[in-house]
Amino acid sequence: MRGISWQGLAVSLGALGLLTSLQTSDDENPHARAPRGVSLVVTAGSWLRAPSADWFAKQAKSEPSRFTHDATAAGGVGGWVDSRGEYSLSEVEGEWAYWQWVSPERLTAGRRDFVQFCSSCHGLDGDGYGRSAQHLRPTPRSFQQNKFKFTKVIADLPSDEALMTLIKRGLAGTPMLPWDLSDVQLLDIIQYIKSLSPEESGWRDVYSQVGDPVEVGEDPWADIKERAIARGREVYHGAASCHLCHPGYVTNEQLRVLRKDPEGTVYREDLTYPALKDSEYEVLGRATKVMPPDFTWHQLRAGITTADLFQTIASGIKGTAMPQWKGAIPDEDLWALAHYVEDLIVSYKDQPAVRGAFMKGLRASGDN
Amino acid sequence: MSMLKAILPSLAFLRSRWLGCPLALMLTSTWALAQDKRWGPGEAASDYGYRFHDLFWLITILVSVAFALVVLLLAIPVLRDRERPGHRASFDHGKSLHDKRLTAVISIVTFIILDAWVLVIAMQDLREAYWAIPDAEDPQTYRVEVLAQQWAWNFRAPGVDGEFGTADDIITINELVVPKDRPVSFNMTSKDVIHALFLPEMRMKRDVNPGSINKTWFRPITAGDFTILCAELCGFAHYQMSGKLRVLEQGLFNEWEAEASKLASTAFDADDTEAQWAWDWEE
Repeated sequence: MRGISWQGLAVSLGALGLLTSLQTSDDENPHARAPRGVSLVVTAGSWLRAPSADWFAKQAKSEPSRFTHDATAAGGVGGWVDSRGEYSLSEVEGEWAYWQWVSPERLTAGRRDFVQFCSSCHGLDGDGYGRSAQHLRPTPRSFQQNKFKFTKVIADLPSDEALMTLIKRGLAGTPMLPWDLSDVQLLDIIQYIKSLSPEESGWRDVYSQVGDPVEVGEDPWADIKERAIARGREVYHGAASCHLCHPGYVTNEQLRVLRKDPEGTVYREDLTYPALKDSEYEVLGRATKVMPPDFTWHQLRAGITTADLFQTIASGIKGTAMPQWKGAIPDEDLWALAHYVEDLIVSYKDQPAVRGAFMKGLRASGDN
Repeated sequence: MSMLKAILPSLAFLRSRWLGCPLALMLTSTWALAQDKRWGPGEAASDYGYRFHDLFWLITILVSVAFALVVLLLAIPVLRDRERPGHRASFDHGKSLHDKRLTAVISIVTFIILDAWVLVIAMQDLREAYWAIPDAEDPQTYRVEVLAQQWAWNFRAPGVDGEFGTADDIITINELVVPKDRPVSFNMTSKDVIHALFLPEMRMKRDVNPGSINKTWFRPITAGDFTILCAELCGFAHYQMSGKLRVLEQGLFNEWEAEASKLASTAFDADDTEAQWAWDWEE
């Protein structure tokens, strides 16, 4: 051990100790809570609402020995039973609910990836206000709010699969990118996101409905697109009154004829522009407004195929003025709307000259 | 033929897999690259783009010629003076004055041709293009504020009123529309880490740093859709941090700007002050 300066070594060790103590004392800095080792383990696992009954049916196919259907469960309605106990059935005020036990290890893994991939926008605590979320509109989702715009789900909350599809696909035109992560990673992140629900709300509220995206089914207009577009135009400006928030793609006079309104009816100002709407999405404790897209101008978030548009229109966009249209108008008309919107996108979006001429034609009539 | 016969034995080294394998790999990959129709940097779409284009090819050609020359000059003594029956190879340190002069002349000429030439052109380009940021007061100058973040580009143009921080500011994410033939001037900063705005077809690239405003510019001379990239590794999704640059003809652009401004004022929420991130244009 010749050649080593013992004093030097002692000083170095002392300095190292000092540095370490400085670092561990910095509890206020969120970055000091970096996901390392045991310090981050969520102390107790959380009980979360399980996916829909369809999910159980699907799981039972792959693991028939684990998931069994018990006709006497859920007060005789019948329910699924998990022999491993990760999922359970509980009765709350006479209603039956499935719950999922998420282990601390899983939440820790989820948190690790969440911090690495999601927290720059969604915040270290999932409050939707990370460093990169500053000034960003629309705002990143707060996972304490439990509202999601584009999951295409009618139920209150999306299933794991619906969230996974959304994350893998991303939201076009926003910094929410298509995330190229493994299914295992994504599912862990999703469990962690779900655990951020405040007590008694979101995934930790027994009354929340969890569901899969709207079934696409068959397009009734597949071979008669032209007629679908014409019908869609009627529904858009007529029964569904989309032009109240989105732009009307007709002149005032055409709109009057489409709606069979009396002569001289005047519609909203700037009919060919969208109208700014309130939303429930909060940032820094303040609800933000959202702009309904002009289909010939703005980029749609959740896909522009007929099926995507059908699902988005059918499920509505939660927390915004866009209602759920499934059930409000017949499926046939939903498909017609999807065809019409798709046609608007294909014909005018990203074609400034063509779009300019089209819109100018509409506005030339005068008051819109 | 006798010449070939004389050279062939000296090519025996190619049979050594240590040399033959890399050489074969090099030739195959060069051949594969040459099959690509986009061989080379492609057409420049900005007015100063030709400078980078020219410099790229100048360096490529100069270096290729120098490389060929060096290999040739090396090959001559290796082949001519090698050890063979009837000829004894000798070793020479090049200690004579003649050798030293020769070395000095070759070095100086190489420096002048390769380094000094390229350096002068590069300095000229820097002065006349890179740092020749257009006057922001000039109404011809189209100004854009860039706010980079993990992992997106936020752009803000002043809209028809020509002023930043007003209701009609055109705010876009990952999408930038600019007029053809007008200088486009950028003021750029970052929310989080260092990014770099890279418009490959415009031959424009500049780092975007948090905490400071970096400036750069270009003047598009071709209408069409081009690429926006991030050229500074900025985290996990750096590779996805791209966008679309659209250059429109003047008339069409004016129409586009009026419409975008109108839509922006429709979307403007005066109470949402947190969404207003414009800053005073920095000269």
